[in-house]
Amino acid sequence: MEKQILVGGAAGQGIAKTAFLIGKLFANSGYYVFNYRDYPSLIKGGHNFNILKISDKPVYSNENYYDVIIALNQDTIDKHEENLNEGGFVLGDKNLKAKNLLGFDLSNIIEKLGGSPKLGNDILVGAFFKLFGLEIENVLKTVREIFKNETIEKAVKEGYDLVEQKIKLPEPGKKNKFFITGNEAIASGAIVSGIDVYFAYPITPATPVLHILASKQLEHNFMVVQPENEIAVINAALGASYAGAMSMVGTSGAGFSLMNEAISLQGISETPLVLYLSQRTGPATGVPTYNSQGDLKFALNAGHGEFPRVVVAPGDSKECFYRTIESFYLSYKYRILSIILGDKHVGESNYSFDDFEEPKIKPSRFIASPAEDYKSYLITENGVSPRFVPGEKAKVRASSYEHDEYGHTTEKEEWIKKMNEKRFRKMKYIKEEINKMNPVSVYGEGNNLIIGWGSTKGSILDALKKLEDFRFLQISYLSPFPTEFVKKEIENSEELILIENNATGLLGDVIAEKTGKIIEKKILKYDARPFTSEDIIVKVKKILK
Amino acid sequence: MKVEDLDTGEKITWCPGCANFGILMSVKQAITNLVNNNKLDLNKVVGVSGVGCHDKIYDYLNLNFFHTLHGRTLPTLFGIKIGNPELTVIGFGGDGATYAEGIAHLVHSCRYNIDSTFIVFDNQVFSLTTGQATPVSEKGLVSPSTPLGTGEKPVNPIALTLNCGASFVARGFALDIPHLTKIIEAAIEHRGFSFIDIIEPCISYHNTTKFLREHVYKLEEANHNPANYEEAMKKAQEWDYCYGENAKIPIGIFYKIEKRTYTEQWPQIRTWHKFERKTDFRKIIERYRS
Repeated sequence: MEKQILVGGAAGQGIAKTAFLIGKLFANSGYYVFNYRDYPSLIKGGHNFNILKISDKPVYSNENYYDVIIALNQDTIDKHEENLNEGGFVLGDKNLKAKNLLGFDLSNIIEKLGGSPKLGNDILVGAFFKLFGLEIENVLKTVREIFKNETIEKAVKEGYDLVEQKIKLPEPGKKNKFFITGNEAIASGAIVSGIDVYFAYPITPATPVLHILASKQLEHNFMVVQPENEIAVINAALGASYAGAMSMVGTSGAGFSLMNEAISLQGISETPLVLYLSQRTGPATGVPTYNSQGDLKFALNAGHGEFPRVVVAPGDSKECFYRTIESFYLSYKYRILSIILGDKHVGESNYSFDDFEEPKIKPSRFIASPAEDYKSYLITENGVSPRFVPGEKAKVRASSYEHDEYGHTTEKEEWIKKMNEKRFRKMKYIKEEINKMNPVSVYGEGNNLIIGWGSTKGSILDALKKLEDFRFLQISYLSPFPTEFVKKEIENSEELILIENNATGLLGDVIAEKTGKIIEKKILKYDARPFTSEDIIVKVKKILK
Repeated sequence: MKVEDLDTGEKITWCPGCANFGILMSVKQAITNLVNNNKLDLNKVVGVSGVGCHDKIYDYLNLNFFHTLHGRTLPTLFGIKIGNPELTVIGFGGDGATYAEGIAHLVHSCRYNIDSTFIVFDNQVFSLTTGQATPVSEKGLVSPSTPLGTGEKPVNPIALTLNCGASFVARGFALDIPHLTKIIEAAIEHRGFSFIDIIEPCISYHNTTKFLREHVYKLEEANHNPANYEEAMKKAQEWDYCYGENAKIPIGIFYKIEKRTYTEQWPQIRTWHKFERKTDFRKIIERYRS
C-alpha cells in the first residue's frame, strides 16, 4: 500500500507544520513516511506545498500524483488537481472549486471555536485522520505534543467528527518510528560527536542545522556563533579548532564560495575541521530554496593549491547522522577537512526509520601529549603530526605559509616536497578507514547498474522496486574515492545508467577520472526539483528500449 | 625571562632599517615586562598574523602562533579565544590587510569586544607587493597602481574603531620604542578588545620618517582623558592620515573603558579540550522518535 498526500497553501498558512503532523502521526502509528517540502523564497504568500508518501513498507521519495490533496487555497487545487489519482479527492473549504471536493464549512467551525483562520488546517487534518481511520486518542496526543495549544486540539477533534473512515490501511508495522530530516540528523550527529563550537551564517538550506544547534547549546554544553560573514565563519572555526575545540561550520554553495580561501588554509595548516555543505540550485543566487547536486566537483576541488580532503555524501537522514560522526572522527584524527555534502532534498525532507543503532565510533579530540621537542608538523609515516593545543609548554604553530616541522616559514625545495608528501600520505590511511565505513552501497539484484550519489538514493530505491534486473550502486565517499569498488561494480554490469540531479553528470566525470570508465547513458534532472521514482522508471525504460 | 627568550633564531627578512624592527622589539619588551611582573603566562600567549610584511613576525616570536590569511587575523583570533578563553591572544595585521581586505572583521571585532589585542603595522602602503596604495594612504599618493594619484580620503582607523565600540583604542609610533612598549603592555593588560594602529614609515615605498618624527606628540603629555569618548573622538580626528604642513599626530591611548567582553557574556564558552563530555547517543536521537 502506498498513499500520496499533498498539502498546499500560501506561505505563512502553516503548510510545513501540518504536513509534519501528518507524517509524524503515521510514523508514530507504525507506517513508513517520506515528507518532501517545496517552498519559494518568500515569507508570506506564494505557493508552498508538502508531499507525503505513506506506506507499510519503507519509502524514501515523493511522487507527483496524489490520492488526497489537502488544499488551503484555490491555488493549490488549480496547480495540482490534474495530478489527482483516480478515486482521489480534495479536502478543503466548501467554497473551493474542485472536481472531487470533500468540502467543509470551515469559517463556520472556526467561528464556533473562536480561533484564527489558521485553524482551517487543523480541521482539515482532523478530517483526514478520520478518513484514514487513525485513533483519535493518538491523534490528539501527537497534536498536543507538536502544538501545545488547546484550540488547535479542539479544531482537530471537530474535523475528525465531520467524516467517517473511508480508507482502510493495511496493518501497521513497528510503532514509534523515527521521523527525522537530514538537517536534524546532522545536528544530532554533531552533538553525539562532541561538538564544542558551531560557526555558521544563515543560508538556505543549511540554516536548520544552525537553528537546531543554537537551540540545544545550553542543554549539551556547546556554543553556536553566527559571525559577520562566511569568511569569518570558517577562519574563526579554524582558530577555535587550533585552540582545542571540536569545531564545525555549515553553509550552502554561495557561502562555500566565500570560504574557499580558508579551505585552502585548512589544507596547509592541517587544522581539523568539519564542514557541512548543503547544496541548492546555482549558479550564484540560482534557485535558493530548491535542490541540486551541482557542487560535487566544487566540493572536491575547492581551495587553491593541492591538498587532500574527505568528502562524503549521505543519501538519507539516517546516513546524515552516521556520516557526520565519521566526519568528525576522520577530521580530528587526521587533521583534515571533512565535507559532508548534502543538499536541500536530503536536508529538509523527513525520512522514517524503525531505529537508530548506537554508533561504533566514540568521540575523541585526538589531542596528544606534547613531546619534549614538540614539532607542530612532525613528519610521520602516516602523515599525521600529533595534534597538540596551545596553553602548555609546547609552542603550537599553524601556518598558511609552507613550513618546516616546527611550522617555521620555508621556501626550501626539500621541505616543500616533504610537506606535500606528508599531507597526501594521510589519504592512504584514510582510505583504509573508509573501506570499513561502506564507502559504496549496492542495492537490489540484476545485471544492469544504476549509479548515483547523495539524495537521489531515495527515488532510485523506490524506483528499483519496479525495475527488473537492476542493481543500484550508491557512492557515498567521493574523496578518497573508492575506485576499486566502483570499478568492480561497473565491470560486472551490462547496462550502466548514471542518475544525477544536475545538468552535466558530475559524478560521471569523477568516475571517468578515477576509473577510466565512461558512462554514456545518463538520466539528469536540472529543473531544481528532485526526481520522483516515476521519473526514473519512465526514463530507465526509455533507455532500455 | 629575557627579551631574547622570545627569539626563534629565524633570519629576519625585513629590509635593513625597516621600522618593523621597532614594533618587534616593543612587542618582545612588552611581553617580557608582563611576564616578569607575573601579569602574563607565556605558555598561554598566542600570536596571530595575516599576510603582508607584518606576517613575518610569526617567524620572529617564539610563541604559540597561527599565521593565517591576508586580512583574516581577526576572525581567526576570535575563534581562538572562543576555542580557549584562557589564552591571551595578540593579533597582528598590516594596513592593507586590515583596512582593505579585512575591514568587515575590524568593525565586528570592536562590537564583539573579544578580550584580545590587535596590532596594526600601518605604513600606509602595501609593501610586500611593492608599494601600492591602501585605504589609509594619503590622498593623492602616486603608487605603481595609482600613477594618477589616489582620489579618496583615507579611512581614519582610530575614529572607525571608536565608533564601532572598541574598548581600547591607541596609536603607536614604531620609531618610539619605549612609548610603544607601554601602549602594548597596557593593551595586553586591558580586559576587552584592544586596538593599536602603529604608524610607521616604509623606507622602501613610503618614507615618511622625517614627517612623522616632526609631527607626532604624546596624548598623555596633552592632558588627554582616555575615559572620555567625545574627547577621544575629537583627538582621533585631529590627524586625517595626510601630510599637511600643520598636521598634528597624537600618539598614545585615545580611549580605554571597561565593558563586558564576549567570553564573559557567554559563560558556556570554556577551555573545551579540558572538558570531558558524556554524550548520550540515545537521549540525543530519541527526540526524533515519533
